[in-house]
Amino acid sequence: MTQTIKKSVLIVLRHSPYGSSLAKAALDVTLATAAFEQAVDLLFLGDGVLQLLPDQDSRPLGIRNVGRQLASLPLYDINCVYVDAESAKRYNISLLHAPFETRLLDRTAMNRLMVGYDHLLGF
Amino acid sequence: MILHTLNASPASAAFHDCIQVATAGDAVILLGDGVYAAIKGTTACTELTATGAELYLLSPDARLAGVINPAAGINCIEMDGFVTLTERFSRQMAWY
Repeated sequence: MTQTIKKSVLIVLRHSPYGSSLAKAALDVTLATAAFEQAVDLLFLGDGVLQLLPDQDSRPLGIRNVGRQLASLPLYDINCVYVDAESAKRYNISLLHAPFETRLLDRTAMNRLMVGYDHLLGF
Repeated sequence: MILHTLNASPASAAFHDCIQVATAGDAVILLGDGVYAAIKGTTACTELTATGAELYLLSPDARLAGVINPAAGINCIEMDGFVTLTERFSRQMAWY
């Protein structure tokens, strides 16, 4: 039997949820990676923190709701995400009611976090 | 240690995010629109230097953009230099 070598992956989400297709792509990669039981974590950085705004309503436009999809992450065993503290503060985003645990990081902590992964994927 | 590839102009969020994270022991390669951060005397160049990371400028892209006289401390590299850096750093982060 061949043994699968597990690689740790950090997905870095840096773009707003609906301005481009990058947020959607990041979610697809995250869920695919998790589905293959690879170690995957998420870091919301810069404008990426805007994906964490509660109360996103995509119904009038009939498109995928990024906020609601993020809420499904615990189903994939992703129970904790990392968030750029400065950006969350800049946009006054409250993470009290986030559907998962959030850990706020300053710039030094973000670099330390990134160094701990085999692969960094930026979206 | 991270190799950062910065492919966005200094006005972009990508630039801001990159200089937030890059630190001493890392390396930053300026390529594409990122080459404009190498222009001497600009705020962007000062901010980039302040990260303490090693700074590299991809020559073909810089020449294309007309950035021919980069600030001191920024090392010009060709494609083979880029490859060498990818060998030195085990992880890479693309900012675009």
